[in-house]
Amino acid sequence: MTTEEHRGIRSYKEDRERYAGFYALSQQSENPEIRVAGRLAKFVSEARDTILTAHEEGRPFVNNNYCTAPEITEAMDIPWLMLYEAPFMAVSVEGLSDQIDETGAMGLGTDLCTAIRSSIYYVEKDLVPVPSAVIGFIFPCDGMPMLHQVIKHSKTWGHIPMFCPDPPYFNDDRSIDYFANELKKMTAFLEKETGAKLDMDRLREVVEESDRQYLLWQEYNELRRAVPCPHGYGLGGPMCFAVSQMFKVGHKDGTEWFQNLVDLTEEKVEKGIGAVEKEKIRLFWFDIMPSGFIFEFMPWLEEEFGAVVVMDMFGNHPYTTIDTSDEQEIWRGLAKRGLFDTPMVRQAMGPAEGFVDDLVRIVKDYQIDVVVWPGHMGHKETQGTFGIMREACRELGVPFMDIRMDIFDRRYTTPDQIKDKFARFFAGIGVG
Amino acid sequence: MDPTASSEAFATMAEAASTLVNPALQRWRDDGGRVIGFLCSMVPEELFMAAGLLPFRMRATGSTGTDLADAYFTNLNCSFPRHCLNLALEGEFEFLDGVVGINSCDHIRRLYDNWKRNVDTGFLHFISLPRQSGPDQIQWYTQECRMLRDALAESFAVEIKDDDVRAAIRLANQGRGLQRALYALRKQERPPINGEQALVIMVAGTAMPKEEYNALLSRLLTELDGVQGEGDYRARLMITGGILDDPAWVRAVESVGGLVVTDGTCFGARLMWQDIDEEAEDPLEALARYYLADRPSCPRLLDTQEKRTQFTVKMCRDFNCDGVLGEKMMFCDQWDVENYMLDMDLADEGIPFLRIDREYLTSATGQLKTRVQAFIESMGK
Ligand code: SF4
Ligand code: SF4
Repeated sequence: MTTEEHRGIRSYKEDRERYAGFYALSQQSENPEIRVAGRLAKFVSEARDTILTAHEEGRPFVNNNYCTAPEITEAMDIPWLMLYEAPFMAVSVEGLSDQIDETGAMGLGTDLCTAIRSSIYYVEKDLVPVPSAVIGFIFPCDGMPMLHQVIKHSKTWGHIPMFCPDPPYFNDDRSIDYFANELKKMTAFLEKETGAKLDMDRLREVVEESDRQYLLWQEYNELRRAVPCPHGYGLGGPMCFAVSQMFKVGHKDGTEWFQNLVDLTEEKVEKGIGAVEKEKIRLFWFDIMPSGFIFEFMPWLEEEFGAVVVMDMFGNHPYTTIDTSDEQEIWRGLAKRGLFDTPMVRQAMGPAEGFVDDLVRIVKDYQIDVVVWPGHMGHKETQGTFGIMREACRELGVPFMDIRMDIFDRRYTTPDQIKDKFARFFAGIGVG
Repeated sequence: MDPTASSEAFATMAEAASTLVNPALQRWRDDGGRVIGFLCSMVPEELFMAAGLLPFRMRATGSTGTDLADAYFTNLNCSFPRHCLNLALEGEFEFLDGVVGINSCDHIRRLYDNWKRNVDTGFLHFISLPRQSGPDQIQWYTQECRMLRDALAESFAVEIKDDDVRAAIRLANQGRGLQRALYALRKQERPPINGEQALVIMVAGTAMPKEEYNALLSRLLTELDGVQGEGDYRARLMITGGILDDPAWVRAVESVGGLVVTDGTCFGARLMWQDIDEEAEDPLEALARYYLADRPSCPRLLDTQEKRTQFTVKMCRDFNCDGVLGEKMMFCDQWDVENYMLDMDLADEGIPFLRIDREYLTSATGQLKTRVQAFIESMGK
């Protein structure tokens, strides 16, 4: 009798092949930027392969997240996947709209963040390889702890042992110590559930390697300050995040990727080459960039208006390096990194001050002409800072454009409507 | 005949529930007393009492719109904080000497951020609420209680001793006991009060000095002793959900034959179903334990969903309910997903469940009534 393959495993296999295909294709390009971007596909394919190999060999693999110290799972050599990545990756899946609609039929509110709804869908419908343990991330928004309550409640993942580091609200020393202790508890949990042991020397190595990545990322972001900006929405930004926080955490080939990116960009900046031929408007996209349908309006923005996304929330680099000479500082550094450096978490988690500080800093550092707030429907806490953001922009003298969209669902505000909004806005401020 | 119609005690409470500044609160202020508003039922109000301050649970009773607040929030924010901010910007909360915020949900924490920037209130403090209720979180919250106590002591130049906190806990528990006695009457076949009246009584308890409230409630309980209500309802209902402070909403439900006999809301049973430990060595730890772990929780706390379902099922059985209404404010992610799970859990228990999205203000009730009516009919009542 043959047992049917688990759907999650099947889709990971498909992903592995698909991304390997993207990678191979990209390497045939004459354009070195396409080749650098293409390597990300290789990293995704390899990450899928790591999970599939563990599955085939009957070894444990876990769920972890970009903001709950993935350096620790890496150092423990435990393969990890991130459930929450599913809605972001699903953009390449056919029938995404149908999946979103199905979440409504399941009984989830349409005003719930689509990322949360989709993650719930993936768990309830058993579409992701089932891990041996779950590290949950129950911040920065109300949706995340609810997702994890559903995980516990579900028939598919409910039996899996789960540990969720508990997040404090502020970023003072007391909070960092508290979260550092949560990460220690998380490590003990992982040791118990997987049998792996954490070697502090190995953790130090991983952290040091990831620090190298962050330093290179910082260098890259300095280069993005140039006028014209060497890259737009298509390169850098979220890719740097994906390499350093998801697919190549503390890995040498991740560092090498960053080095490549920096070298290429340096050359471009030296020659004064920008992302578009004539850069006219420098945009700061203050949230996640839309998955999937970004290609339906960003190239138009660049071509039609010379409007370039110089910085975005996931490309924003607030990471600080970690003092590895002291064990406790490693824990504290990881705690700070998870809670107060990682994108989305950093902005959405604590008081509005943090949010505004980032806005002001980026507008100044990157000579931003227009702050674009997509107003993602799921981000209730950001909706609640709408007035504060607008006032901050007014004080800075920079136009503030709000779109109101669903970054996952192109039907909420369609690419055509988005284009229309941009055209009117630019005309209104006299730059169109 | 409605037994509350001739009750002076009930009339006093009804006035308190239908206004912001009720006569008791006004008297308190006239006597030099100070008032602190707080933004969620997980804020330990006993600390305000211990400091000699009057705790006022924030609500936006009397609000008619959100025009001013709409410059700060968007239409994807819960209407509760929007109405609160609007009233604050109109100056309706000038009777508050302080406001204590908390990260109980994304909308509420942003209410605090906007309040802080735009409303001139003397004392401001924010509590960092954990997302779970284990031993480390209880310790954390104990520390938060300590920090709140110290901030109050400093700002209001009062000394708050452990014995003051103990006395406040005792007084608050006394009120809780009376409220439970009131709820016990609702188990009867013909309860002497309906759901609308019960909510009036509960809301009043969040807006006047506890001594005065407890005295009023004792009197009312004596008046209700042995009295039977009408009994001409079609179905006995329980309401679960978050902020529900508007008796008019319950009135609409009851107008089509549903009698609300109990609830799991945060102006209702979740406030008082449990007492705080009066004997604990550290009263601040007792507060932390109560608010995080012991009392029936809200979905804000991760590790409590199973307990919440058990609570709902038990309440339902104890009060002989025919069905449950799960009310949820629009754009509340916590209650949305909670209801998604509760729906499945109650189906397993064979308990009919109706989910209702609502706005903070009860305006047009036509659709609500139609849905409740259909729900009652679907139960064959
Ligand atoms: S996208 Fe926003 S609302 Fe959605 S899960 Fe992330 S932080 Fe929460
Ligand atoms: S529903 Fe929960 S978070 Fe909201 S006010 Fe009530 S107790 Fe607080």
